[in-house]
Amino acid sequence: MSSDTLMLIVLMVVPLIAAMRIALSKNPKTGYGTALATSIAMLLPALKLLDGFDFSKGESAQFAYSISWVESLGLNFSIGMDSVSLLLILLSVLLGPIVVLASKTAITKDKRMYYAWLMVLQAAMVGVFAAQDLLLFYICFEFTLLPMFVLIRKFGSTNRVAASIKFFLYTFTGSMMTLAGMVYIVWFVAQPDQLGHWTLDIATLTQYAANMTLGEQAWVLAAMLAGFAVKVPLFPFHTWLPLAHTEAPTAGSVILAGVLLKLGTYGIYRFAIPFAPTAFFEFAPEIAVLSIIGIIYAGLICWVQTDIKKLVAYSSVSHLGFCVLGLAALNVTGFSGSILYMLSHGLSTGGLFLMIGFMYERYHTRDMNVVGGLASKMPIWATFMVFFAMASVGLPGLNGFPSEVLCLISAFQSNAAWSVAGEPGAWGSSLGPWFAFFAGTGMVIAAMYLLFMVGKICFGPLKEPEDHHAHDELPTDLNGREIMTLVPLAIGCIYFGLQPTTLLDTVSSQVNNTVRIVEQANGLESSAPRIEHTTDLHSNDGHEGASHD
Amino acid sequence: MMTSSLLSGFTSFTNTIASPATLSDSSGGHGGAADHLVEMVSHIGTGPKWVLLIVFLPLVGFVLNAIYAAIGNKSKLPAWTTIALLAVAFVTTLTMFLQYEGTPYTVHAFDWLNLHYGEKSFVANFSFYVDKLTILWMLFVTGLATLIALYASEYMSHDIGTGYCRFYAAFGLFVFSMSCLVMGDNLLMLYLGWEGVGLCSYLLIGYFYKKPSAVAAAKKAFIVNRIGDLGLALGVYLTFVHFGTVEYAALFQNETLHSYINAAAIGDFSHIPAEAQWIALFLMVGAFGKSAQFPLYVWLPDAMEGPTPVSALIHAATMVTAGVYLIARFYPIFLVSEHALPIVAWIGTITALLAATIGMAQFDIKRIMAYSTVSQLGYMFAALGVLSTTGAAFHVLTHAFFKALLFLACGAVMHGFAGQLDLRKLSGVSWMKGWGIVGVTMLVGCMNLAGLPYITSGFYSKDMILAEAFITPGYRVIGWILVVTAILTAYYTFRVYFRVFLGPQHAEPGDEHSDHDDDHSHSEDHHHDAGQHGDHHSDHFHPHAPGWAVNTVLIILAACSMLAISLAYIDKAEHHGWVGSMVAESTASFHSPYAEEAHHAHVEHTTAHAVAGPVGTLAPSTVFGMDAHTALILISGFGAIFGVLAAAYFHGPKGWQGLFIGGRTEADKCRMDGVAKRMGPIPRLAENKWFVDEIYAMIFVKPLRVISHIFHWIDKLLLDGIVNLFGFLPRVFAWIIRPSQSGVLQGYAVSMAGGLVILLFVVIVVVMRSGGAA
Repeated sequence: MSSDTLMLIVLMVVPLIAAMRIALSKNPKTGYGTALATSIAMLLPALKLLDGFDFSKGESAQFAYSISWVESLGLNFSIGMDSVSLLLILLSVLLGPIVVLASKTAITKDKRMYYAWLMVLQAAMVGVFAAQDLLLFYICFEFTLLPMFVLIRKFGSTNRVAASIKFFLYTFTGSMMTLAGMVYIVWFVAQPDQLGHWTLDIATLTQYAANMTLGEQAWVLAAMLAGFAVKVPLFPFHTWLPLAHTEAPTAGSVILAGVLLKLGTYGIYRFAIPFAPTAFFEFAPEIAVLSIIGIIYAGLICWVQTDIKKLVAYSSVSHLGFCVLGLAALNVTGFSGSILYMLSHGLSTGGLFLMIGFMYERYHTRDMNVVGGLASKMPIWATFMVFFAMASVGLPGLNGFPSEVLCLISAFQSNAAWSVAGEPGAWGSSLGPWFAFFAGTGMVIAAMYLLFMVGKICFGPLKEPEDHHAHDELPTDLNGREIMTLVPLAIGCIYFGLQPTTLLDTVSSQVNNTVRIVEQANGLESSAPRIEHTTDLHSNDGHEGASHD
Repeated sequence: MMTSSLLSGFTSFTNTIASPATLSDSSGGHGGAADHLVEMVSHIGTGPKWVLLIVFLPLVGFVLNAIYAAIGNKSKLPAWTTIALLAVAFVTTLTMFLQYEGTPYTVHAFDWLNLHYGEKSFVANFSFYVDKLTILWMLFVTGLATLIALYASEYMSHDIGTGYCRFYAAFGLFVFSMSCLVMGDNLLMLYLGWEGVGLCSYLLIGYFYKKPSAVAAAKKAFIVNRIGDLGLALGVYLTFVHFGTVEYAALFQNETLHSYINAAAIGDFSHIPAEAQWIALFLMVGAFGKSAQFPLYVWLPDAMEGPTPVSALIHAATMVTAGVYLIARFYPIFLVSEHALPIVAWIGTITALLAATIGMAQFDIKRIMAYSTVSQLGYMFAALGVLSTTGAAFHVLTHAFFKALLFLACGAVMHGFAGQLDLRKLSGVSWMKGWGIVGVTMLVGCMNLAGLPYITSGFYSKDMILAEAFITPGYRVIGWILVVTAILTAYYTFRVYFRVFLGPQHAEPGDEHSDHDDDHSHSEDHHHDAGQHGDHHSDHFHPHAPGWAVNTVLIILAACSMLAISLAYIDKAEHHGWVGSMVAESTASFHSPYAEEAHHAHVEHTTAHAVAGPVGTLAPSTVFGMDAHTALILISGFGAIFGVLAAAYFHGPKGWQGLFIGGRTEADKCRMDGVAKRMGPIPRLAENKWFVDEIYAMIFVKPLRVISHIFHWIDKLLLDGIVNLFGFLPRVFAWIIRPSQSGVLQGYAVSMAGGLVILLFVVIVVVMRSGGAA
């Protein structure tokens, strides 16, 4: 085991230890300090991983490590990360200290419980992206639910009980179906005419999954999407989200928008597409249509909200539509754009939720008819609000734009008739200009609802709730701690906006790898370059071959 | 012999005019209409790095002003910083112009969005493309920005310590974005600038953010622009998907494009794929949004809610010309689209006329100027449509000077009279103490806008457009509409001048100061243009005459407006003026064969041959038996004078100032009142802008809101209802099997688990079945 592998384990284990330390502490005020120290300390191993990662082999699982559990059934705990998981792990780790800092004054009771579950959530998020076998993935996937359930139920606002139950049951039901699909694949691969023995290794499963017939793949895809589409959420499986987001505490909303929703798109990218490449190709237009309906439908709903948090929550549904559209295009542009979208949406929407949280702490309302025109009272707050709103609108130069461009281009490209002469084969699935056009209207709608929001909450004459009185601990405008939570996100927005190439290069080989899986499965002429050093996928211990040297 | 007299660029075009037999030869291969373009872009070099200063100095200004705002600066430092940086940017632009050696070049700053896949790649970098079109635009953008920053240092001085830093920060960001728009070397950079100027426009229209009308206007501007931006974005994507690049150099060197151009030159559009023709149509929508053309013009008049320097710089001189730049820059793309340019011509013409009719009936002088901007932009689009990129660019340039001048003069009035903009409440401003310079410069601006013959630059640029419209076959109707519009323009322009600046001295201060006194709770931080007069509550209102900065800028702009006349005579023989020579060395270069015809007066050739081209049928380029240019000088010259005289008769004061025909002796009564009464509902309709805003609200906004509410209810009741039903069923189930059991969640969990086991079983069975069957 290399020291880098150790770092990856540290990222999962140390937050758990911290959680235990907080939970068992006798002093009810310990939570914040320990959680903050832990989450900040976790940045170091994360940076070490970034430093040690070999981006030229970004498609293979690096820092891999495996513990055998039940050998005869192929049950292992294996971890490792390719470039896509690396970026998502970095995002999760970065959001850690931010949400802890943002919770300092917001959480006043049961601090131990709150911070302990927050730390568990951190560990689970790293685990879900680092998992290299289905068992660990599934455990972590489900284990993100429980802390979030507690955070919403215990620390949410008025309607928290209903929100937490709906959140839990809806996503849990979905993920059970995902499990069914996964079990079927494992069973299929274990058949004598396939691999012949049990395995849960994702890379191995991917290799044999394409042997399923279209009918089988369709069912597997449906089962997988049942879980992942709820998580994304894809229209019409999104109704849990506005409720959960609205009721969750700020930290919960930030993590939900920043990372947990990405589990859905990550799941589609990592499992649904490689496990059912032919079926996904077949049904890509339908999936794209759902995502476009989501973009327009949820965007228009945003426009008539008066609850600002609900508005931002619905905007996530609309935004992630672009993300799924990129995946449904099944080409390099689409996958790259989609991965970029996963990361950048976490920054800008996370920022918006923080802003709303800071406002809520001061005014105890989210109703834009009651509170508004805050620019004259809280200029720093308003400046950040406009900034994150613009990032969310997709203003070029900020983070939303490059990913949106790539997702829309991918829809255009994803049609043989409209691609440049000389491009090999049908480039991706069969979407086309109409998909790009209708998805593009989301740009206009996003401007409509976000400017509506900014116009009400920041500008116009100052409106404050009648029974408003100043917060004991907080100044009128943002304080240093609050600004500190926003600055990293703002820097991230600008960096992603101006240097998306760095990220695209990072995931390039991984994306090409996935595109190749789809193209081979569908008998398309390959458009992605062959990569010389592909991982040896043929044996159960493939992860060793891929480990970092 | 005709062919030999033409420039090399269109030899094949004219060959086909002379002898249709050569048609098939020139449609294929390289030789032909695209030659000029090929020649233009064949040697694109790498430029000096100091060119980057032009783009990034304004950005430095933005950053510094943001820092000043953060540390709470309470001086004029933001103004001086911005002016200094912009002045350096202007000098750098001048240097760029003087050192330009005839070949376009690119300058690379840093990589932006690069995606490589297979052997292809999507490349869009922070790089800049410099040819003479770029230089032309950047000269007036940086020059005017510097001057207007100087003007604003005085104009905005009431806001020192409150909004001053914010104003200049947005100002700097605007110039940066505009530079990216004009200088970017790829469509994505153009798009970055395009949206960037939109953002700054949003922030500056909404500068007085406590005023609900300002916030609404800002929002409207951004959203209407976004509709255009969607068109532009789709155009960009389609360009990439079709031509495989968004970089100008590669795009204009693309051989497929050249073959299209050659095909289009002989009117053969059937061999140009539909998607290539769609690109221009999409880009056009973007241009209509940014340059306020029908039907997307409605945001611009409302944008006058912003401070006047902003109206002058962004909403008159620079940003709104971005659409003209876009079409000029991508003229080769527009030429290969069968319907794009005719649509551009007609939309421009309709906009010009429509806006002029509204402008005639408005009473707010700033709104009149706004509608006049829309109308003049219509002229520029008409020019692009009738194949005169030079006319469009020349009008952009002269309009930038005289319209900035007009706005700044109106701004001085607004500033001095506590926000008063109603022309019925102001009179004889020229004769008031300290207002002489404003009066004279306003007259210069009005003469230019009206296009008084020979003595104004506005006349030359407008005349070029009108002549081109008459020369180009199929567009004579457009020509006549534009002539009528020119008369209307002269009328409404001098209506303002005669009523506000001449006649008996009279001034009612604006309502901004009463606002101030009545409402003490808001008075400490109330933003408005003329806060200083808050303490005047007596009958003795003293207008606040402009200071040196305002006067200096007005004088310089007036001088520029007049000096621009000389541009019409530089290089006149070869390129129709200096602007023509600039445009000729750019991708906008297009020598309309019809214009050449008229220029060389070889009328007999064209009568004989009719060629179906992008513009229809070639027809004789004479008007009333005269050479079109001569005829148009007469027509538009007399038209302008007629419009001025009409304004003098209806609105002019008694005495020589009314040119002996005016009869107005009071501030608010004139002969027009009586005429308007007899015109039925028309003046009311025009005053209410033909109710276009209301119609849009009824057709688009309200239904969309209703739909949104319906969606919201569907979401709440139907979709969530189904989910709740599913959640409810297991509870019923659990209740049946265990009637006396425990809590809700446990009941859920148990029944869910039971249900899922069944489901799992079903899924596996079904999958196996289907697997077996296949």
